[in-house]
Amino acid sequence: MKKMMFGWSGAKLFLLASLLLTATLAPLSVFAQADPASDVIPAPKEFSLSTSDLVSYAYWVLALLVLLVIVYIFNIGAASEKLTGRAVINWTKVNAWMSIIFLVAGSAGVAYELIYHGKLLLPEAASAHGDSIDNMFNWTFGITFVVFVVTEVLLFYFLFKYRQKEGQKAAYYFHNNQLEIIWTIVPAIVLTFLVLRGYSTWHNITQTPEPKAKQIEIFGYQFGWKARYAGDDNKFGEANFNFIDPATNELGLAIKPSVIALRDTLVADTGRLGKDLRTLPAILKQKADQLSKMSLAADGKAYTDLEQELEDIRNGNKASELRKMMKRKGVQIQRINATLASKDMFNEAANDDKVTTEIHLIKDQPYTFRYRARDVIHSAYMPYFRAQMNVVPGMLTSFTFTPTKTTKQMQDEEKNPEFQFYLFCAKICGSAHYNMKIKIVVESESEYNAWIEKQKRVVEPVQPEAPAAPAAGSDTTATPKTAIKSNQKPSLAMGF
Amino acid sequence: MSTAAAHGAHADAHEHHHESFIRKYIFSTDHKMISRQFLITGIVMGVIGMVMSILFRLQLAWPDQKFAILEMLLGRWAKGGVLDANFYMALVTIHGTIMVFYVLTAGLSGTFSNLLIPLQCGARDMASPFMNMLSYWFFFLSSVVLCWSFFVETGPASAGWTVYPPLSALEKAMPGSGFGMTLWLVAIALFIVSALLGGVNYISTVLNMRTKGMSMNRLPLTIWAFFFTAILGLLSFPVLLGAALFLIFDRSFGTSFYLSDIWLNGVGALENVGGSPILYQHLFWFLGHPEVYIILMPALGITSEVIATNARKPIFGYTAMVISLMGISILSFIVWGHHMFITGMNPFLGSVFMFLTLVIAVPSAVKVFNYLTTLWRGNIRFTPAMLFAIGLVSFFISGGLTGIYLGNAALDINLHDSYFVVAHFHLVMGSAAIFGMFSGIYHWFPKMFGRLMNNTLGYFHFWLTFIAAYLVFFPMHFMGLAGVPRRYYAFSVIPEFNVWLEVNQLITVAAIMAGFAQVLFLWNFFYSIFRGKKSDANPWNSNTLEWSTPVEHIHGNWPGEIPTVYRGPYEYSREDREEDFYPQHIPGDDEGHGHGAPKTKSAPVHTEEPAAQSGNVLFSALKKVFGFSPR
Repeated sequence: MKKMMFGWSGAKLFLLASLLLTATLAPLSVFAQADPASDVIPAPKEFSLSTSDLVSYAYWVLALLVLLVIVYIFNIGAASEKLTGRAVINWTKVNAWMSIIFLVAGSAGVAYELIYHGKLLLPEAASAHGDSIDNMFNWTFGITFVVFVVTEVLLFYFLFKYRQKEGQKAAYYFHNNQLEIIWTIVPAIVLTFLVLRGYSTWHNITQTPEPKAKQIEIFGYQFGWKARYAGDDNKFGEANFNFIDPATNELGLAIKPSVIALRDTLVADTGRLGKDLRTLPAILKQKADQLSKMSLAADGKAYTDLEQELEDIRNGNKASELRKMMKRKGVQIQRINATLASKDMFNEAANDDKVTTEIHLIKDQPYTFRYRARDVIHSAYMPYFRAQMNVVPGMLTSFTFTPTKTTKQMQDEEKNPEFQFYLFCAKICGSAHYNMKIKIVVESESEYNAWIEKQKRVVEPVQPEAPAAPAAGSDTTATPKTAIKSNQKPSLAMGF
Repeated sequence: MSTAAAHGAHADAHEHHHESFIRKYIFSTDHKMISRQFLITGIVMGVIGMVMSILFRLQLAWPDQKFAILEMLLGRWAKGGVLDANFYMALVTIHGTIMVFYVLTAGLSGTFSNLLIPLQCGARDMASPFMNMLSYWFFFLSSVVLCWSFFVETGPASAGWTVYPPLSALEKAMPGSGFGMTLWLVAIALFIVSALLGGVNYISTVLNMRTKGMSMNRLPLTIWAFFFTAILGLLSFPVLLGAALFLIFDRSFGTSFYLSDIWLNGVGALENVGGSPILYQHLFWFLGHPEVYIILMPALGITSEVIATNARKPIFGYTAMVISLMGISILSFIVWGHHMFITGMNPFLGSVFMFLTLVIAVPSAVKVFNYLTTLWRGNIRFTPAMLFAIGLVSFFISGGLTGIYLGNAALDINLHDSYFVVAHFHLVMGSAAIFGMFSGIYHWFPKMFGRLMNNTLGYFHFWLTFIAAYLVFFPMHFMGLAGVPRRYYAFSVIPEFNVWLEVNQLITVAAIMAGFAQVLFLWNFFYSIFRGKKSDANPWNSNTLEWSTPVEHIHGNWPGEIPTVYRGPYEYSREDREEDFYPQHIPGDDEGHGHGAPKTKSAPVHTEEPAAQSGNVLFSALKKVFGFSPR
């Protein structure tokens, strides 16, 4: 054994350890003052050399230094071993004691985590089924924590206790059926308990029908959410992805005039694309002229962009792209035409639907969220309600739950007047995935009624003198002039 | 004429033959060289993956901070020293891909299966050395293609390492789904070819090329682990290949396997109807879950070997260890649904998958208890390899237990895609497997390079990495329990998440510390290859066959005949022997009392087919089915 050990002097060890420590802790002390309120998306900043840049350079220099020191010490260690012929440090002892130190420090760390970070965990569930999840969690935690402590303590204690000693021989002990049967059966029993309990919890949450549940459609897209309430008739209008028009019909609802308008736009678009395709040679000539008047030095990016555009026209990429777009739009037009005659689809149930940018819920009222996705998979995550369900394009998913605490109540409990429930995306969905959320307000029935009253219908009933009012379901980014605007003759088409 | 003898003659003929540089170091068919190639490539990929993790950790800890160094290194991906949101996704994706496939599958299983299967089974080389060489070069090509994707204008794949469509299928859904994604798919297809070539080879070598006396129940646990791993890979990787091919079709040829009812910003309504994105998830996780064990089982096998050798004790419950490996392997094929509890899968299926998932905890618990009992009353020698093996057991416990939470469908509702998941799999398959890999490197370094690594640096490496890994991953459990979702570029979505900024900083500092510790390892590794102390033939006083070969690598492994095996691999600290080890190939009066002992004491040791005499129903059945001979 001794042969394998290198001699080390304590001072050098200390030097190495402290260097490593400084290297790792240096950025912490400097950046500790960094603004903790990071709710602003960090915008790209201008490039300049600041203190932090110097620190990050210093950091790498330090890393290099540590490496050099290691090389240096390594050689010295080898040399001193050669000289004295014996190891300076008994590494068996050091490692044995390290495992005890690790055990103690680790326990302290776990205790610290449980006490300090344990406080930051989610508060009591704000939904009816949430309690059963929390209960299941507590049981699992209780059992696994005991196993965790017992096995980890044994592991490191054995390391210490049975470390190599002069004249000690290990026990020749390879097998004990009884023991092995015991520790197969005991975990099996414990897990049976957890499975049965887990099964009943899961079953109650997902497979118990809730006849009184109100339905809300949650619509997810890159990168945001919309909610749709069924309106006075308590019936959701049909919707189809082919009807989506980002400006006037974001959810693709079956509103005949809007869909007809969309079809007409598509037809016009296709015509324009066809014209572009036919005039490509002329465009090519015109752009080539334009390019010949520019120079790379003077125009930079504009020049290279134009050059790329020309290249795309020349090699046929542009034409094939145009053809693809025409084909895609043609398919969409066909599909719209095929559905337009359907009475089941255009049954006017969508007219009184209300599309909102907030979700308002009544306390103690069961809800079923029906999820629809526009583009990619999202996940509707509401940790305070212990609710999550993926939102999948081409497939309806749903989750039923009952909110049991109002927003106001939570604000009081959390002692945070700013507190709000949110539904946010938990499935990677693109660059702004981290910022995709919708506010949820849980309130009393009367408050809810007041709010829903104020929300605009998708198609307003026509009143003789009223000007065309913007429908609800739009936020500041989408244009506020929704369905009704494109709906040139609502009274005729909708039969009002 | 026996194949062994033929190989012997072959080896003799080669002894004086000088191989060209290319045949010896590049297109080598020698399993020992291929193993070294896998290891070095794995280490290089590992360094890339680790640097990526530190880059995105910097963003998470100091989202407002400008790091000039980032702009210097990454250019337009970090304008003004702040990481770009799209590039953050790319880093997360490629970090996952590299670590899961390139480091922990190829780097771990590729390295040690190649090195140890012929050496510990007593074979001159793999069943097909040429296929083995192809396996490495497909892997190398795959690594190159993946790295190439960093030099694509729209950036590398960014849809997460699971690359769920439609996000990954639609070029306009995010920049990373452009050409970078195509390259990702090509890289993975190449990787699968490599894994399959390797797997077929490992299985046939273990079944057909064991030396005289090496019955299946005398195989070291490493070989059992590699054997099951290869079977898992062989059965599950083709499914991923199918999934990847469908995705390629959807992306490039207008099919609709995974696409339906999509209206994409900037494109409009797509033609695709009738497909299902969930289909991809089923196919992906049908590989994805066995993949976890493809990663972990070789590490567990290495740990079994290292712990027994360094505790100077027989591994406790050899048969139970093999059966638990087998149980884990079989179960791993029927639990993939636990990744999909809340994807809209029928909730009844969720209950079934929950039950099957939690059953896996039983064989896992058996393994942990057996490791503990092996340590009990041992004579523990602290080599760095031993410490890393202990580290694996510790991570396997702490990460495995959180699997009981995530396998529970009811709890998964709230934990799915949160940091709790990140903590769980980084401990149980990330850290645990990487520690198994380190353990293997330290233990078999003398076999691979004929020299010893420096123990002192090894100790520093272990304790720093061990502590740092816990500091990085343990607090993540709490973030997950507070509802913090993973793959977030910044935690601005709700104000409550701001309290975790401080924790994120701690995690990042610990990650950097872990990074520094790996510098120690890299130095130790590369320095020792050239300048390390010369090793003896059997530096750890180990029992297994690989230590009976000469230190200098020769083609065909053993200069003369392949040694015959007389007993099981874990005959340590026998009362009747002065030395505390009893190598498998040393002839002796008796065959040991432990596992691998013939059931009838009087049975002759030298027989043509010792496997038949083990009397073990399982092995006889295997033999019947596969028709293999143990030689």
